Amino acid sequence: MLVNAYSKRIFNMAYQFTGTYQEAEDMTQEIFLKLYTSLTKYDFEKNFDAWLLTLTRNYLIDNYRKTKWEKKTRDDFNEHYLRADLSFSPEAGIVAKENRRFIWKGLNQLSSEVRMTVILRDIQGKKYDEIAEIMDLPLGTIKSRVNRGRIQLAKILRQEKEKKDVM
Amino acid sequence: MSCETIEELLSPYLDDELSPEEKKTVEDHLESCPSCSELLSFMRDTRASLADFPEIELSESLLGRIHAFPSQRKKFRFSLDFFPRPSLQPLLAAATIVMVMFSLYYFNPNKSSINKTINRQVNLGYSQMEKLYAKAESFSDNLGAYKNNLLISLKNINPFGGNED
Repeated sequence: MLVNAYSKRIFNMAYQFTGTYQEAEDMTQEIFLKLYTSLTKYDFEKNFDAWLLTLTRNYLIDNYRKTKWEKKTRDDFNEHYLRADLSFSPEAGIVAKENRRFIWKGLNQLSSEVRMTVILRDIQGKKYDEIAEIMDLPLGTIKSRVNRGRIQLAKILRQEKEKKDVM
Repeated sequence: MSCETIEELLSPYLDDELSPEEKKTVEDHLESCPSCSELLSFMRDTRASLADFPEIELSESLLGRIHAFPSQRKKFRFSLDFFPRPSLQPLLAAATIVMVMFSLYYFNPNKSSINKTINRQVNLGYSQMEKLYAKAESFSDNLGAYKNNLLISLKNINPFGGNED
């Protein structure tokens, strides 16, 4: 039941964070292994979603610090995402598709903490107070990180567009 | 207001979390600053792009591996849970002591001298046992002699003080 309900969300979060399909598969497997061994510690009065996302976030960031994925490149955006969504059809805006590709690549330039915060807020659609609970940080810090992440990505997007215009 | 200060407010502005006064300050600045206005536009595009990332389905092989975990874990837990049981702790402590003693003896470079000492102690113990056994035997003989003397004495007692003849 746990697998059916949460595997897709955890895998996608791992993929958004790591940027490589193989890495995301390995991480998802490890996170589920950790989940099964940690279930006895779960306090039933707490929100399970937040607890699981905290566990996921801790695992991803801890592993990132140990392995330093920032040196690795991300998968090409179209490699897996193009197959995943029919809205990526030729009718969908070319500019929007291009933007997604640039933003996807740009995620690697954010620090692990800022990247995780932006993923939770803008991809996973979590509220600020939920993110504060997951990240175990004050609300103000979370808002500041989201702002910083969005500005960084916006500047990357602007830079990529300028490069493209020059070419 | 400086561009740096306005940058701090752009995200809350996008999320519609500013007070009416702050909102007006940002909008006034944006009207007069093309750079911040352009940055906000890119931030809008960024947010829209991130929100548009579709969800990817998991591969069948990964799903299979994750589904297999609970049964694997039960077998794993059985062997691990067996040892930390509190009831087994005295036994495990005793076993540890025995193993430490054994390793101290077995891996000792002076093992032969330890063996000699043990043999001497065993022999000493054996001879002491023999002495004890001999003492016990003589004590038993003495007791037999005392018993005979006592019986003879009792036989010779005349409680009424009469003539023996």
